[in-house]
Amino acid sequence: MEAKPSNLVDQLVVPGDVILDLSNMANQTLKLSGGLRQDGDSICVMKAGKLRFMKPNKYWVESSQKRYVPSAGDNVLGVVVDTKPENFLVDIKGPALAFLPVLSFEGGTRRNIPKFEVGTLLYVSVVSANPGMNPELSCMDVNGKAAEYGVLKEEGYMFESSTGLARSLLSSPPHPVLEGLGKKLSFEIAVGINGRFWVNALQSSTVILVGNAIQKSESLSLVQQKIYLEKLLKSIQL
Amino acid sequence: MTVNEKKFIESALLSDIRVDGRRPFDYRNLTIRFGSEDGSAEVQLGQTQVIGFVTGQLSQPYRDRPNEGSFAIYTEFSPMADPSFEPGRPGETAIELGRIVDRGLRESRAVDTESLCVIAGKLVWSIRIDLHIIDNGGNLVDAANIAALAALSTFRRPECTLGGEDGQELIVHPPDEREPLSLILHHFPVAVTFGFIGKENTVVIDPTHYEEAVMGGSMTATLNTNGDVCAIQKAGGDAVSQTVIMQCLRIASVKAGDITSKIKDAVESYNTQRSLRKIKRHNPDQQGSSDVAKRHMERLTVGSDQSGIASQFNEHDKTNKRNSTLKGFSGGPASWDPYSKGVDGDALRTSLASRVAPVDKQKEESSQVNPETKSNPKSSETNSIALTHEVGLERKQSKSLKDAVKPKHKRRNKSNAS
Repeated sequence: MEAKPSNLVDQLVVPGDVILDLSNMANQTLKLSGGLRQDGDSICVMKAGKLRFMKPNKYWVESSQKRYVPSAGDNVLGVVVDTKPENFLVDIKGPALAFLPVLSFEGGTRRNIPKFEVGTLLYVSVVSANPGMNPELSCMDVNGKAAEYGVLKEEGYMFESSTGLARSLLSSPPHPVLEGLGKKLSFEIAVGINGRFWVNALQSSTVILVGNAIQKSESLSLVQQKIYLEKLLKSIQL
Repeated sequence: MTVNEKKFIESALLSDIRVDGRRPFDYRNLTIRFGSEDGSAEVQLGQTQVIGFVTGQLSQPYRDRPNEGSFAIYTEFSPMADPSFEPGRPGETAIELGRIVDRGLRESRAVDTESLCVIAGKLVWSIRIDLHIIDNGGNLVDAANIAALAALSTFRRPECTLGGEDGQELIVHPPDEREPLSLILHHFPVAVTFGFIGKENTVVIDPTHYEEAVMGGSMTATLNTNGDVCAIQKAGGDAVSQTVIMQCLRIASVKAGDITSKIKDAVESYNTQRSLRKIKRHNPDQQGSSDVAKRHMERLTVGSDQSGIASQFNEHDKTNKRNSTLKGFSGGPASWDPYSKGVDGDALRTSLASRVAPVDKQKEESSQVNPETKSNPKSSETNSIALTHEVGLERKQSKSLKDAVKPKHKRRNKSNAS
């Protein structure tokens, strides 16, 4: 009854690969997430990427794209595109504009609806994302508190990235370039899993440095990132 | 476009820095690549990618200009370049881009249209330049202009001569029979685009598409390295003072020089590569068994053909400078045919290997490249009068062919001596 993880975990898989043969395993529940499909007795890959496994029984395929597929529970950076009586229309880099109900703010009532002009940058959470429908957003966490959601300051600059880079910026052993720059420079950063991140600092040059360094380090391996970071810090004399 | 981005771009420019780390008057990285066919160029300026493709067709000239060929520019904004590009009829920006590139080339008479005339009043070459936008990273005009110039510089059109029984029939020679000719470009009109951001007349050169979204106005100046301003385009947008315009023109002339030299370098390396590729000249009389023997035979038979024709034209003036340069230069048999880019390389090597040290071979190949690059522009100059050119060619060929045919011992002496 032990869940023997597939031997393809943490490796690159392409559509068509079979990662598990279910005929040997009986009476187990497996949770399959994005990119995997059950085909009779075998689990096949649908999307190219890295196969991931989390104990006790979760499998999914992680890939990096420039476009974002909204899914519930994600924290994203959105840009207000339009205002309607009931919702704000927010662009989150997905196939459709998302709706942010005007009341989904902490202590939000009909009396104090926030006024967002077109182009406002928001940090929001995706509440529901059904295929074919516009996703729904919220500026509150599950308890109804604002948490960190809401409008981002009007300074700073938003950079675009791929979804993979955004994930690595949020990952647990922190991104080497981000960590290294954070030790030497002072800036604030908000990362949306939809491939956007916002950087703010006292000086514009710091913002530009951090943003470009992160964007350029996407294609480098861990070791190369460390080397890149050292060269960068040396060149700005820190 | 967020409010943050707009404010940030403007405030960063106050400290003379742009979002991608450039200074206000820095261009992005420019790469020029050429396709496998003559007349196709791909230009990458930062994220912006444009492909230029030049083709030529014989057609009737305009009534009021019977001696001139024509050229036209077509732009295609592919929807994969930008989400706002729609397939189908070109939009406003597409037409404006086409007009700017066209004006730069036409008004300044950069492309020599008189050399495109084949039969005055009846047949001329009409050149078509297609510009495809592949990726919109901002500043499409500059990239498209460079693509057009690069493609025009490497375009080759087939040589046509008048022949046939009555001398009125037009023969278009296929590329393997006669080397195609390049166009005559008198100068390179380079477009340099400036964006005006914010209220303090902050100017940036080569805007990215983010900067284009926040800029209040833009100006494109088309200049060449001779210091001529070929065209200026400022369509609407914020008002700009005269001092700023003059400053922009001064900066543009410096940038135009840089870009022109980059284009010329790229074109030259392409031409060298092209000449090193073997283009086997097809000779209809050619028959023979072994390779070396075949090639020797080829030269001998062609030589006898040409010498026959040469006798008819012996009385012509020697106006062809090329002739003298080639005669003066002690190379191998490849020198007799300025259009053969290494046709007889193999034969040359095999014949030389039996006589001489390989050092001379390299000298020949390098000297072979030089007269080609010299001969190409000269050949196209004389092509306006097709008949005499044809004559000149044969005459010149015949002269040096005889030299080559006569002899191998002559060659051996020269190469042994050197």
